[in-house]
Amino acid sequence: MSFYKFDEDDLFTNTIEAYPQYRFYTQSGSIYINDMPHLSGANTVNNLGVPKGFVSLYEYNIDRPAGNLIYPFIIKDGHRDTLKTVSKQAYNATLLFGETSTGSYSLSASISRDYYSTTTRTRINALRNTLNHYNYLSPHYQYSSSFGDKSSQTINLISIPSIFYGSKIKKGTISLKYYVTGTLVGELQDKNYNGELVQVGPEGSTGSGSVAGVALYREGFLLLTGSWNLNAETIQTDTNGPSKWIHFNYGANDGNSPALTTLSASFAIDYQGTTHTQTMTMFATAPYGELNHSNNPTYLDASETQGVSTGSIQYMEQPKKIKNVVHSQFLDVEPDFVKTTYISKVAIYDEDKNLIGIAKVATPVRKTEEKQYTFKLKIDI
Amino acid sequence: MSQFVSQNQQFHREKIMAESFYKSLDIGKDVANTRTLLHEAIPLTGTIVSGTYSDNNIKNYAHGMFQSVYDYPYLSSSANHIFDLTVGVSAQSGLYSSVTSQKSKKLNIYNQMAQVLAGYDHTGSIQRFDQDGNILAGGAKLDNVFFMNFSRLLIKDEIKKGTFELELGVNSDYDQAGVVFTRRIKLTDLSGSNGYLVNSPVGEYGVLYATQSFGTNAVLAANQYYAVGLLFYQAGVAVISGSVFHDAAKGGILHTTNTDSTRLLSTSGYHGLDIVTGSTNEVIADSLRNRIYNVQFNNTVELNSSVYFCRINHNEYNYSTNPTYLSGSKIRVKTQSSDLPVSYITSVGLYNDNNELLATAKLSEPLKKSSDTEFTIRVRLDY
Repeated sequence: MSFYKFDEDDLFTNTIEAYPQYRFYTQSGSIYINDMPHLSGANTVNNLGVPKGFVSLYEYNIDRPAGNLIYPFIIKDGHRDTLKTVSKQAYNATLLFGETSTGSYSLSASISRDYYSTTTRTRINALRNTLNHYNYLSPHYQYSSSFGDKSSQTINLISIPSIFYGSKIKKGTISLKYYVTGTLVGELQDKNYNGELVQVGPEGSTGSGSVAGVALYREGFLLLTGSWNLNAETIQTDTNGPSKWIHFNYGANDGNSPALTTLSASFAIDYQGTTHTQTMTMFATAPYGELNHSNNPTYLDASETQGVSTGSIQYMEQPKKIKNVVHSQFLDVEPDFVKTTYISKVAIYDEDKNLIGIAKVATPVRKTEEKQYTFKLKIDI
Repeated sequence: MSQFVSQNQQFHREKIMAESFYKSLDIGKDVANTRTLLHEAIPLTGTIVSGTYSDNNIKNYAHGMFQSVYDYPYLSSSANHIFDLTVGVSAQSGLYSSVTSQKSKKLNIYNQMAQVLAGYDHTGSIQRFDQDGNILAGGAKLDNVFFMNFSRLLIKDEIKKGTFELELGVNSDYDQAGVVFTRRIKLTDLSGSNGYLVNSPVGEYGVLYATQSFGTNAVLAANQYYAVGLLFYQAGVAVISGSVFHDAAKGGILHTTNTDSTRLLSTSGYHGLDIVTGSTNEVIADSLRNRIYNVQFNNTVELNSSVYFCRINHNEYNYSTNPTYLSGSKIRVKTQSSDLPVSYITSVGLYNDNNELLATAKLSEPLKKSSDTEFTIRVRLDY
């Protein structure tokens, strides 16, 4: 086996920025992520083992009944490490060395909604500095301004966990659609790329062109303050009345459960997230005239006797003949021998020659002395 | 010359700032590397393996070399691969000459697994699986074996030694509806925690021992442990001898008087594993799967951490260059002119030798720092 050292032109580190598309559809209190239906399993109501409308981290406990779940645990030892769910007090006072502290899967996440109509609004207050910071994008972010006072006006806060968008929501991709009995009564978009959620449809609708809220792209929040009537029909909402943006996503993990027999709205949230993936690209070159011998036992001609002659003063291996794998058109003609190997994998070692990775090619690559190959290896880091 | 002086002054200013902001870590005293072992309990009941999903979670391949078992119908994107099942027969096995179905495949599988897991002997020949792992002492070899290759998703870095359990139904009569579980044996890596072996190219392994776990009549001789397989901890492969389905009269472990060899593959004749000679790997894997009552083990993940002890002396970091620190040219957090300056530490930056920021550690709440306090902030980096 031969070792080659990468030089500085053989290694590249890049960042790939991707914009995954997400969609949440909410109807009668049920949330559908990326239009995936809720599937029940043989043992559980939701086969993912988490509440409906939630994603499962790792997707470990698929359709497993209680008592038969995969769970993590850690043994208390001198490192004094434990799982985050174990309190310091329990760890110090209750747990003895050698005992185990256990956690649980499945960890889950989904969007949620908070409706604030009173002045008690801790989550809005916590966003005060953040909102004021984005004032340079639009005055609509301002916590208190001529556009409204967020400490007292009715606000609909939609929270999106970062697992659904990565590092930030891509500007200009947000679309909120409000349907009543399947008819679109309002659509918001951040069409100005400045976080303002502007009503863009349906054409000629009440409030068209008005700003109904703002989006916090990096933090994953949508604050809706638009309180004009989108539709005259009375439906089940926070206040049971006409449709308004402050009632958008009613029933989405907000503690409300709209009755299936009651007229209610359905909602769609579409956007693109932003993810950054660091990748390392390595160019491994098999040069001319090199890597043309193998230590694999099958590299030798099996028909040859691979013996040794030994004596009191000698140990001598018999010459070993390499199998000639050159193809011939004729059965009775042995083609000229050409040193040939088949490269099936490229191994990556660290400076101490510890194997740290193996890249395999789909089919072995034929290597002769007059051929040179460069393998492009890419790994996400 | 003036430009040089200017650059020099600039350099001098940066040097002073660097000495003010950055504090070097003493690798010997301020940095500690630790390793934490995190485990997961992995229960796999027999109903996942056979029964619950009408075999929609079982994938067979055209190549017929092995069978894959999932924890949910495999056409679902939620399904996780849990293990593969196959059978191997050594050329030295007494059964080998009788094999009529997939003979070369069964031999190739045995050799493939043996050369990876057991390696080669001094003559360059593939080492056969040794029953007790003591290769130098010779002894019995495992020539007709089942292989259970567990998914890396489940075993993670390795199977935790001493935690593996495989319970098999060994009732003699042929059945694929649970009747075989009226008599059961349990295979465990009994000595795994302190008696594991290291003479394998793929890491450590332990011997699997069989004991009776359920059934009224004695299935195995009382108080006796039978070495019936090997468990490779890092590779996540269980090698199970075919002798678990043979009675003692046929060279197996089952009680000759109370338990015949199993009807592993058909309703006729008590042949145990002998009947595999005429069956495909797929059929054999089905039969073994329907005799798995329970599989469980714990896995291990190594979490490596570096702990940086960032020590702040009483006369350090009591002042801030943050613009909000001053208000009207006065320190904002001072009430009287005679008060000593104080600051609030909110984060710790870790820099490389070129003073380039590599990582930032945030405190859950700002830490008040004054000239009469000293802190050691423990920054932990997991990787």
